[in-house]
Amino acid sequence: MIRLDSVSFRYRAASEPALSNVSLHIRPGELVGLLGRSGSGRSTLASTLNGTIPHLARGDLKGRISVAGEDIQGQRPRDLADRVGFLFQDFEAQLFSTNVALEVAFGPENLGLPREEISRRVERCLRLVGLYELRHKMPAGLSGGQKQRLALASVLALDPQILVLDEPTSDLDPAGRRDLMEAIRSLRRDRPLTLVMIDPEIDELAWMDRLIVLDQGRVALDGTPAALWGATGPLENLGLKGFTLARLATALGVSGRWESAEQAAAAITASEWQVKEGAADLLRKVDAERKNGEVLLEVEDLDHRYSDGTQALSGASFTIRQGEFVAILGQNGSGKTTLVKHLNGILVPTSGDIRLSGRSLRGQPSTRLSRLVGLVFQNPDHQIFAERVWDEVAFGPRLQGLSEKDVARCVEEALEAVGLAGAGDLDPFVLTKGIRQRVAVASTLATKPEVIVLDEPTTGLDQRELDGMMALIQRLNQAGHTIVIITHSMSVAAAYARRVILMRNGRIVRDASAREIFSDESSLLDLGLTPPPAVQVANRLGVPALTLDELIGSLARSPLPPSPPAPLPRP
Amino acid sequence: MNLFLYLEKGTSIHGLDPRTKMFLLLGSFVAAVLFSRPGPLFALLVVLLVYGALGRSLGNLRRIWFLLLGIAIFSVVSWSIFARGSTPLFWRVTWESLSFGVGAAIKIDGMIISGLIFLSTTRIEEIVLGLIRLRVPYQAAFAFSLGIRMVPTIIGTAMTVIEAQRSRGLDLERGGLLGRLRNHIPLLVPILLQTLRGTDQLAKALESRGFGAARERSSYLEIGFHPADVIALTVGAVVLAAFFVVRFAL
Repeated sequence: MIRLDSVSFRYRAASEPALSNVSLHIRPGELVGLLGRSGSGRSTLASTLNGTIPHLARGDLKGRISVAGEDIQGQRPRDLADRVGFLFQDFEAQLFSTNVALEVAFGPENLGLPREEISRRVERCLRLVGLYELRHKMPAGLSGGQKQRLALASVLALDPQILVLDEPTSDLDPAGRRDLMEAIRSLRRDRPLTLVMIDPEIDELAWMDRLIVLDQGRVALDGTPAALWGATGPLENLGLKGFTLARLATALGVSGRWESAEQAAAAITASEWQVKEGAADLLRKVDAERKNGEVLLEVEDLDHRYSDGTQALSGASFTIRQGEFVAILGQNGSGKTTLVKHLNGILVPTSGDIRLSGRSLRGQPSTRLSRLVGLVFQNPDHQIFAERVWDEVAFGPRLQGLSEKDVARCVEEALEAVGLAGAGDLDPFVLTKGIRQRVAVASTLATKPEVIVLDEPTTGLDQRELDGMMALIQRLNQAGHTIVIITHSMSVAAAYARRVILMRNGRIVRDASAREIFSDESSLLDLGLTPPPAVQVANRLGVPALTLDELIGSLARSPLPPSPPAPLPRP
Repeated sequence: MNLFLYLEKGTSIHGLDPRTKMFLLLGSFVAAVLFSRPGPLFALLVVLLVYGALGRSLGNLRRIWFLLLGIAIFSVVSWSIFARGSTPLFWRVTWESLSFGVGAAIKIDGMIISGLIFLSTTRIEEIVLGLIRLRVPYQAAFAFSLGIRMVPTIIGTAMTVIEAQRSRGLDLERGGLLGRLRNHIPLLVPILLQTLRGTDQLAKALESRGFGAARERSSYLEIGFHPADVIALTVGAVVLAAFFVVRFAL
């Protein structure tokens, strides 16, 4: 279905090729997961499949690409649109119509299809993604997950044989992700569709037929999920994490391939491993030993109604103590971002009050509040403007009217803290997303706020960048900063946050320790959230572990072999 | 937050052919520029408000009232002071200059309200289709519609950037005139770059959905002249004729 013969591509003005000498053959109906760290060439490879490269991104393309048996040299994306569908990560940028049905009709209209046929396709594709009932709605009013499913329907309406998905779920909450994946799986029941999907998390690609890992523009690994099951070492060398369950199996020395948390838990129970006596108490004791300081932030009965009448927050109340690490979780549109924008005075409550160290924020200028509560926005590109990293980071301290000597000290310290010491002279715009995110954090740190709030700090980062960013936030927390993060990544929340606030429809529905929240799987599911795989296994074994390491640490070989010896499960 | 003006109300005005509504819009502009006296302009405003009420689109006035009010005040004040007249009222304001200012205010606000009613009752897709049927090339019509669509996107980006920079302590109102202008640099750079990135994404999304693939593009929406259009155009023509009579024959 897709054949690449020695394909190389170098972006104009880049010194290194993004793809070098890639040869691949993808069979009709194959489900292919594409992985690799950022800069590995995975998006570039995907973009060559519909002609976006070389037609919409300039550079030097060599080699031969054929799709459905036809050499696509010289064909633009629009010429290939009826064969290769492309779904992008940014669902906002893909939608431009004033109602759902017209959005789906746009593609078939471009092909010049008769109206009856367009009508049939609109109905079929909207039913497939579960949006038929909403066909008269405006796309702007849909949730993130619905928007991405609408984007999927609009691509499917062109009736492609190949579907390329470039990180389609990165901006979605777990429920949105699950519904999109469900829609994609149901597609395949209808017709043979070849699928190429990029996803940063290998666990999400376990249902593919084949996984291809790129590194430095070359194919580094290529095999079935079963073949790559135990390849944790090689995957880590390529900047990825192995399958969580495989890492667990390897650590315990238990053989077999587990496809679900249930299977893993059953296999562990049947093996010589068992939960250490008192493991749960030990984990809880570690939590209890962490002491938090004085009450820093008090939010009381906070309501916010936007000017268009949307009630975004209703009666939110909580307190945060000095030194805490809090994660706010909830679906897109549950009010998380609206809530944190109140903490530094960007939004003013419709009713209710917020106090910082006992003093109400009402009436205080946001210029002063920004010094007390630092807010790092989701996308660093919404704030970076300077030509040098140093000036970008110095922006806040300079606005505070510090002397140039003090500004220099703040900037140096902030750059040091984010691991960018000495990078002051670089141009932020040539840096990778992960480093730009660090620059944004540094520019907030430089004003020395008491509380640091980060909205989705890991979106768009690869595994290594994500680990680096979270390690940085953890270091800041250990150094005494109070941290509040908003995240869709359940593994980030479970591994780093000590306390979790769950939100739904503008209300706080639960506020407890991370351990308590994640061990109560059914109430998370009610909110459309799912715990990460390691936590799911731990819950089935009855240990409140939050990470793979905690889980492994809570298990011990039993002194006696279990009787009767249970057979190992076969995949 | 919804930044588009279109209101899905399904009134008989919504059901009119977009070309009919374009002619009505044009007619209201012609009527407006005929006069500078407040009387007939006020009559035109009433006609427009009735038209807008039939299309249940006057709710959108809430979203631009500050703009309308600002224009009205600016127009009345500046014309009162700077225009000349022969019947002094007080200071340098004359009856004529005041009347001219009020007329100009109603004229400009009326034209804006007429445009608002058009955009509140007509989908962008219908405007494009209407323009195509009026022999405007598809690319040009679509470019025009993209322009309209980009406005809310850019406003959205701008609001996020403003919030992000205010979070870092930016105070736009600080300093003298030059200082205030300089305060905007941290806003302009990210807004511009994000908008460029956005248009690049949009170009890719449009192409991958086959934009420009076939020479003859078909349409899912259907438009056409119905009896209601004949009635609307007739009423519009009669009202416009009446304004001409008032202007030239009386």
